[in-house]
Amino acid sequence: MKLTLAASISAFAMIGSMTGATGALAQDNAALNQAPPPPPAPSSAVPGQPAADMQAVLNQGPLLGYKPIETLTPAKARLQPSAADMTKAQMRKGGMSTAPDPAVTTRDLPYGSDPWQYARVYIPAAAAGTGGAALPVIVYYHGGGWVIADVNVYDATPRFLSKQLNAIVVSVEYRHAPEFKFPAQHDDAAAAYRWVLQNAASWGGDVRKLALAGESAGGNLAVATAIYARDNNLQAPVHILSVYPIANSDMNLPSRQDAAGAKPLNTAMLKWFGSYYTNSMADMQDPRLNLVAANLRGLPPTTIVNAQIDPLRSDGETLAAAMRRAGDKVEQRTFPGVTHEFFGMGKVVRGAYDANAYAVTRLKTAFAR
Amino acid sequence: MKTFSLLAAAAVLAAAPAAAQVMSPAEFVATAGASDLYETQSSQVVLETTQDPKIRDYARMMITDHAKSTAQVKAAAARSRVRAAPPKLTPAQSELIAELRAEQGPARDQAYIAQQRASHNQALTVHQSYAAGGTAPALKAAAAGIVPVVQHHVEMLKAM
Repeated sequence: MKLTLAASISAFAMIGSMTGATGALAQDNAALNQAPPPPPAPSSAVPGQPAADMQAVLNQGPLLGYKPIETLTPAKARLQPSAADMTKAQMRKGGMSTAPDPAVTTRDLPYGSDPWQYARVYIPAAAAGTGGAALPVIVYYHGGGWVIADVNVYDATPRFLSKQLNAIVVSVEYRHAPEFKFPAQHDDAAAAYRWVLQNAASWGGDVRKLALAGESAGGNLAVATAIYARDNNLQAPVHILSVYPIANSDMNLPSRQDAAGAKPLNTAMLKWFGSYYTNSMADMQDPRLNLVAANLRGLPPTTIVNAQIDPLRSDGETLAAAMRRAGDKVEQRTFPGVTHEFFGMGKVVRGAYDANAYAVTRLKTAFAR
Repeated sequence: MKTFSLLAAAAVLAAAPAAAQVMSPAEFVATAGASDLYETQSSQVVLETTQDPKIRDYARMMITDHAKSTAQVKAAAARSRVRAAPPKLTPAQSELIAELRAEQGPARDQAYIAQQRASHNQALTVHQSYAAGGTAPALKAAAAGIVPVVQHHVEMLKAM
């Protein structure tokens, strides 16, 4: 009896790992227990001071029992409270509701055979079933360094964009590292983009008004997927919104130093993420990760949003410069007094509210053309 | 030449963090227990108010299934001679319960589903990682047995 149970468990595990991959390497769950890399040399730089409302959100971290990600295995890192958890705790303490805004409804739909290859489609409730004009579409990629977080953690931005722009937002889940390493996430991002082009009309979307968006690791995927679309002769997006993207593999950028000890993202965490999503350090020079060295010619008008107190700030600034050199139309803004992850905090952080409004204006203009 | 030696050095660096640091048996038992306790409590909170039969059925199923996994982990802990303190919510889980209690009606239903989706992905990582590398055989087998149950819950949640 015991033997059959064990046999059926291992048979299940085998099926799981075989179907888990799409012709690539099988899912590696043991990698979830891999020890963290040694921390980089400590920095003497003092990061900028967050605005009071930003600091109030960050103060929720210790109250929620947050332990530094860079000291943990991926399995334990995924159990840590996220910036979204900190934001909700701060909202509840301020008497605000933390329930999802019912102005937008969602459906989870698969775009591939792996359980992680699905997307959450946000549809404005006002537009559902009205048979009105087709809506703009935004393909959105969540952050988390490709190792932690998921579409649930990054609910604020897609829900907000859907409501404010009366648009269908497709928030793409993808296979995570270290179970699946680079470029699984980029492959999934591209597959999801193709799938949206084929299916958006059936949800009431107009792919002639399609934008790519993303935060952090997802900000990278938004730009990398626009490059993929260009290189594969797919319908091009009309705009890219890239919020504090991973875009430059140079570990000596100014923000890597001056925001080395920032919260909730520090420079040690960037090294930590990299050690789990890359197969080797050579991957870091791949133009899909090191976007500043990619062929950036012929990309759509782009908005890059950065936070002042963020080790990825220089990524956005150098990506904007590289895109301009390539002839693209780019606007980049660095918001003061805020940190990485601020973009999802528009209900409690003034700088985030301003950045949200800026992004909405830019996308509205793109869709109006 | 310079590029070559840089790449070689990079390869050595990249190969360095290979050591496993799996949860200890006691950590796994405490983490799985807290996860089950949160599932049970949050489901009880939504059952106090929900008018949605689909959510009621789902919440009742969570209470049954997570009682089962708690019992499985407890029995495996005994076989592995791991002393298991009574499960306790983490501060983050206590906050989630407080957030659910702060909502009423359909808003509580929707907050519950949103929390369920996030917490089941976390539970999946806990059990998959321990099933892959756990050091106590009975607990490792229990984790492996719980993985498909959690996967089933994850798939159910996609349809809600």
